[in-house]
Amino acid sequence: MSKDIQVSTSHKGDIAVISIKGDVTAMTGEVIGNAYQSESVFDSPKILLQFDKDCYINSGGLAALIDIASEGRKKEQKIHAYGLSDHFQKIFKMVGLTRCIPIFSSEEAALEDF
Amino acid sequence: MEQLVELKLPNILGSEKVAIEKAATIAEKMGFSMDKIEDLKTAIAEACINAIEHGNKFDENTQVGITFASDDTSLQVVVHDEGDGIDPKKIPKDRVDKDGLPRRRGYGVFLISNLVNEFSIEKKPGKGNNVKMLIHLNR
Repeated sequence: MSKDIQVSTSHKGDIAVISIKGDVTAMTGEVIGNAYQSESVFDSPKILLQFDKDCYINSGGLAALIDIASEGRKKEQKIHAYGLSDHFQKIFKMVGLTRCIPIFSSEEAALEDF
Repeated sequence: MEQLVELKLPNILGSEKVAIEKAATIAEKMGFSMDKIEDLKTAIAEACINAIEHGNKFDENTQVGITFASDDTSLQVVVHDEGDGIDPKKIPKDRVDKDGLPRRRGYGVFLISNLVNEFSIEKKPGKGNNVKMLIHLNR
């Protein structure tokens, strides 16, 4: 199986944005992890995870996101997310990820709350 | 009238997407709500991933079997692996670690049990492992 994911990074002021489109799984988690570890993102105090609404996320992908949440907590980074479908917002809440990565209804709301 | 559909998947991560697409097609025809279809897709994906990883232990010479049995009121999905499967007693019940963060792994069974109406694991020594999930149309 190919790594069916597109991840890109950008900045909005002092906020690093990681855009994620495709499958968030154990196989593709490394791609997201690499984006997080990239020089322009890793030292940013504020990180926005921008998900595509059609993202497929499984437990392997959740593990990759938990790794980022864990590292972010150590570095006292604020990490916000938006763009997830209603279903995956529910899954994030179910596993407790929203305690460390709050989900917002829009990009504007996510940026304003930093 | 009960209808049966059977699938055999290669024991490779990613093949679970074939199963969830089939499940979505069946559930949509049965009239399930979009919310329930999404729940079902995640539950089946996690059952298949567990079968590939923990049951068949990534052995590409094995397969994952999936049976969909539907009637007017519910859909039963059975995911079968050829190995020992997961021992439910070994699944950590505590969902957070000492730092208050979600645990990194062990969400498959947790998610399945929270997303379907009924769920059981049936071990058949020497014959593999069945994960049975039942989801009702109107409950």
